[in-house]
Amino acid sequence: MDTQSYMPVPPGVGLEENFFSLDDILLSHQRLPCRTENAFPRLGFLEKSSETPDILEGTKMEMPLWLAKGLYERKRRVLSVDLPKMYREGWRTVFGADPNVVDLHKMGPYFYGLGSQLLHFDSPENPEIAQAILQTYIGRFRRTMDSSQNAYNEDTSALVERLDFLERTLFREGQSGLNSFQQWERGKAGHLTASSLVTNYRKRKINELQE
Amino acid sequence: MSDAGSDFSGEDGSQEDIMTPAELIAKLEETWLNERFSPELLENKSEMVECVMEQLMHMEENLQRVKKGDVKASIHRMEIDRIRFVLSSYLRSRLQKVEKFFPHVLEKEKSRSEGDPSFLSPEEFAFAKEYMANTETYLKAVALKHMPPNLQQVDMLKAVPEPCLDCFVFLRVKERQENILVEPETDDQREYVVDLDEGSQHLMRYRTIAPLVSSGAVQLI
Amino acid sequence: MDPSEVEFLAEKETVKIIPNFSLDKVYLIGGDLGPFNPGLPVSVPVWLALNLKQRQKCRIVPPEWMDADKLEEIRELERKEDTFTPIPSPHYMELTKLLLNHAADNIPKADEIRTLVKDIWDTRIAKLRLSADSFITQQEAHAKLDNLTLMEINTTRTFLLDSLKYMYKLRSNLQPGSGKSQDY
Repeated sequence: MDTQSYMPVPPGVGLEENFFSLDDILLSHQRLPCRTENAFPRLGFLEKSSETPDILEGTKMEMPLWLAKGLYERKRRVLSVDLPKMYREGWRTVFGADPNVVDLHKMGPYFYGLGSQLLHFDSPENPEIAQAILQTYIGRFRRTMDSSQNAYNEDTSALVERLDFLERTLFREGQSGLNSFQQWERGKAGHLTASSLVTNYRKRKINELQE
Repeated sequence: MSDAGSDFSGEDGSQEDIMTPAELIAKLEETWLNERFSPELLENKSEMVECVMEQLMHMEENLQRVKKGDVKASIHRMEIDRIRFVLSSYLRSRLQKVEKFFPHVLEKEKSRSEGDPSFLSPEEFAFAKEYMANTETYLKAVALKHMPPNLQQVDMLKAVPEPCLDCFVFLRVKERQENILVEPETDDQREYVVDLDEGSQHLMRYRTIAPLVSSGAVQLI
Repeated sequence: MDPSEVEFLAEKETVKIIPNFSLDKVYLIGGDLGPFNPGLPVSVPVWLALNLKQRQKCRIVPPEWMDADKLEEIRELERKEDTFTPIPSPHYMELTKLLLNHAADNIPKADEIRTLVKDIWDTRIAKLRLSADSFITQQEAHAKLDNLTLMEINTTRTFLLDSLKYMYKLRSNLQPGSGKSQDY
C-alpha cells in the first residue's frame, strides 16, 4: 500500500509544467542563452558584466527558463532564445548514433524536461528536437530498466550517475518495485512499522526535551 | 448465525438485483481494485459501502452473544477483519484521489446535471470542499498575501494536475467486447480494432476502456 | 500495490485441509464453510487453512500443482517457450511462499519446490522485461498479457506505467499546439 502521507506533485514532463511540482520549479531555473531584440531600459543591473544602466538591444545573456518564457512573444520579438548545445544538430547526431553513450546527467540534468520546454520558443528545428528527445528516451529505456532491476542492496550511484533526472525517477521506481518484492519474499513485509512521521515526531519531542 | 440477504441494487438502477452477501463482498473487492488502479476517481458506491457496513455490524452484534474462545467466533472475526481491511483501503484510496485532484473533482461535481449520480459521497464532497478551502487559506497565509494585489490569485484548476486518462492500465476482461478501437501511437501506425475475449488480460490506455470499467465489463488488475 | 496486498488476495484461494476437530457449518459473510469432521478433507480459504494449521488443528493438503515433478515440467516448458506459459495457479508465487513457510511439514520435497518455483518466476520475469522493452521500442498501443499473474504485474507496474506515461508526454511534443500553455 502506498503509505506515504506526503504525495509530491509530479513534474509535468513535455510542454506542460506543474505549478506545484518542486521538480518543475527547479527545471524553470535552468539557464538559457538568449539575445535581446529590444533595449530594456534601466535593467542593466540584471546583467552583471554590463556597465550601462540599460540592457542594450542585441545583448547576449543567460536567462532562467521562467523569465525567458515570460518575456517571449511570437509576434513581438523581445528576445530570441539560442539552442543549448545538446539540442543542436551536432549533438542530435551523436544521440541518434547511440543514445546510451551520452552522460545525460552532465548534459541535463533536465535533458527531457528542458528540451520539451524549448519547444515553446519558435525554432525551425523544433520538430527535430522533439523527435530527438523522444528517440533518445526510447533508445535508453532498456538500460534504465535493466540497471534498476539488477541492483538489490548494492551501491547504485554508478548506475544512476549518467541518467537524466526523469530516468532517475524511473530507476527509483524500478528499484522500489524490486525491493518490496524481495522484502516480501524474505518475509519482512509482514511487520508493521511506525510511519516515518510518527518516528520523526518522537525524535523531535526528545530533542525538545534535551534542549 | 444466518446470512441475511441484502438488497443492494445494481448500478443501472432500473433492475433491482438482489445480491447475496457473498456477491456483495466479491463486488467490494472488484470495486476496491478498480479504484486502486484507475488513474481517476471512479463513481462512488455509497450504497454498496452501506450494505457492507450493515453486514459487518450485523455479524458483530451476533458475535457479542458468543462466549470467548469459541472457534467459530474466531473464524468470523478473521473474516470481519479481512473485509474491514478491503473497505478501509477502498475508502482511503478514494480520499487520496480527492486530495490529489480536488479542484477537478469539485468542478466535475459542479457541472453535474441534476439527476445524474454524484461521483462523490456526501462525506467525500464535504472533505473535498474543506480540503480546497484549507489549501487556499494556507497559500494565502504563507505566500499570496505578501504578493502584489494582481498576483494574489492561484487558479487551482490550472495549478493542480488533472488525472492522466492517457495512462496505461492492466485489465482482465469479464464480458467479451468486440471492436475496441486502439488509437495509433505514432504517425506511421494505423488505428486498429481488437476483440477482448472473456478472461484475457491486456495492457492499454485507460481512456479507451474507461467506460468498460464503470459498466463492469473489465476489471483493472 | 504492496506485495503483501497481492498476498492478501491470494489468501482467498481455496486449499484442502484435513481437520482433527469437528465443527458445524460456518456461515461466513463471503460464503459457507464446512462442516468439519476429523480426518475428512474439506476446502477452505488459505487464510483459514494457515490459521488452523498454526493452531495445530489441521493438516494442509498441498495443491495438485505443488509437486516437484509437475513443477519441473512447467519449468522446462517455461524455459523453452518465448511466451508466458499458462501457469497452474494465478497466485503460484504467493501460495508457494505461504504454504512452504507455514506448512512445510505437510509438503513433500519442500526445498525442491521452493527452488523450482523461484526458477519459474525468474524465467517469467526475464520475459516480462523483454516484452516491456519491445513494447516501448515499438511504441505499441496494446498488448495481450494472458497468463501473466498479478504478482508479476505488480513488481513492474509503477515502473512500466510511468515509463509509458513519460513516453506519451514526450511524443505529444511532436504535435505542436497540442499542449496547453499555462498562464498563472
